[in-house]
Amino acid sequence: MYFRRFILGAIASVPMLAVLAGTAHALSPNAAKSFITQSGQKLVAIVNGADSQGQKASQLRDLVNQIVAVDQVGDYVLGRYINVATPAQKQQFQALFHQLLSYNITYQIKAYQGVTFTVNSATPQGDDVLVDTTVTAPEKSPADVGWVVEDEAGQPKIIDVIVAGTSLRITTRNDYAGVITDNGGQVSALLNAMQNQISKIAAAQ
Amino acid sequence: MTTKLKHRLRFGLATSIPALALAGVLAGCATAPPKSDTADYQAYQQLNDPLEPTNRVFFKVNNTLDTYVMKPVAKGYVDITTQGIRNHVTDFTSNIGEPARMLNFMAEGYPTDAGTSLVRFLVNSTVGIGGIFDPAAAIGYPKTDTDFGITLASWGVPAGPYLYLPAFGPSGVRDVWKYPVEWFATPIEAAPASAALSDFGYSQTGIDLINTRATYLQPIDQINATALDPYATFRSLYRQSRASELQQIQQRDSRTWPDWYHQTAQ
Repeated sequence: MYFRRFILGAIASVPMLAVLAGTAHALSPNAAKSFITQSGQKLVAIVNGADSQGQKASQLRDLVNQIVAVDQVGDYVLGRYINVATPAQKQQFQALFHQLLSYNITYQIKAYQGVTFTVNSATPQGDDVLVDTTVTAPEKSPADVGWVVEDEAGQPKIIDVIVAGTSLRITTRNDYAGVITDNGGQVSALLNAMQNQISKIAAAQ
Repeated sequence: MTTKLKHRLRFGLATSIPALALAGVLAGCATAPPKSDTADYQAYQQLNDPLEPTNRVFFKVNNTLDTYVMKPVAKGYVDITTQGIRNHVTDFTSNIGEPARMLNFMAEGYPTDAGTSLVRFLVNSTVGIGGIFDPAAAIGYPKTDTDFGITLASWGVPAGPYLYLPAFGPSGVRDVWKYPVEWFATPIEAAPASAALSDFGYSQTGIDLINTRATYLQPIDQINATALDPYATFRSLYRQSRASELQQIQQRDSRTWPDWYHQTAQ
């Protein structure tokens, strides 16, 4: 009886698996490379442009939302606490995460004035592609920066940045987990800390 | 420096690190969650930071020292030097570490890298005027890096619990042993003792500290400004960086022991 159910279930699930397999598009290294080249050119044009800091920050925020899979990165960063957070907390977390990501990127505009970059190679990593670049800024040693690109609903999007062997999303996940574990596993503590950080940055600007 | 004082300093350095770790064990341990709370318990085990309360105290102490001493000095140093000069200082201090690197590569079973370190030291110390220039890189011997912590890892020693050391910063129970080994394996230590050599050693250590801090002025400022929990962020960065260093060394060179001697790389 159980065996029959198992066989029937297995047969019924085959079309579902086919659908799931269809959604996971593997990105070609060349497509990822040209995506990073174009995105990098846009980023460099904004950073080195003649606009005011405020205008640059606003343009960067738009660009980040276009080229980064922010929601997916947010889910990854929340890690195992995604199962603990309430739907309202998840929603609030995503909103705060979007804001903080923009702030953290715009924080570096001044430091990277005069930046140039070259795209070196693209290596497939499962369904993702790691694109290696060299970023050069005046008065700084050249830095090797890797961009992990994933296909999100037919569009290439950045899901991670690797600098000197360290992953930005893993580091952020550990940073946020540190806040939650220090506060007895409360997701609300993380949301408070994120809100405080945003207020602090807003006050400093 | 008198020989007696030097011996005391050596002894102090060799014993202080494990003693600090022991003090940490006695002073403050993180409370492990109950095993029944599977997810929390697994996360605690994965974190491997049982001395977290003590580590955080040292983190605060180092941050205070950094804010009032190291960072202002490093900023002043950047103001009066160019990137080119700072690169030469990095080359110079890096060259002094080549003999230690060569010994570590030999102990790890990577003869090509050991040879690279040896050639770099010989070429840069002579043609490169005491290591100020790096002509060895131009003739095909690029910079490599390793230390005794990596050597222990290649022997299969696990990373062990995380340690945050006063002055030295992020480390671990395995990686902490790189400091005494580095100390004994520098050419300055191997040469006969003299006051001039000791002064040179102090100056070199001082310049190395300031130059290294200057290199990380912007990244450290950025982490402190953007991280919600800088302690957890530095811990994560340190561990990822060490894992990456180990992986790079394992991918770059091949061991040369005979086929009949089976030993798996860690």
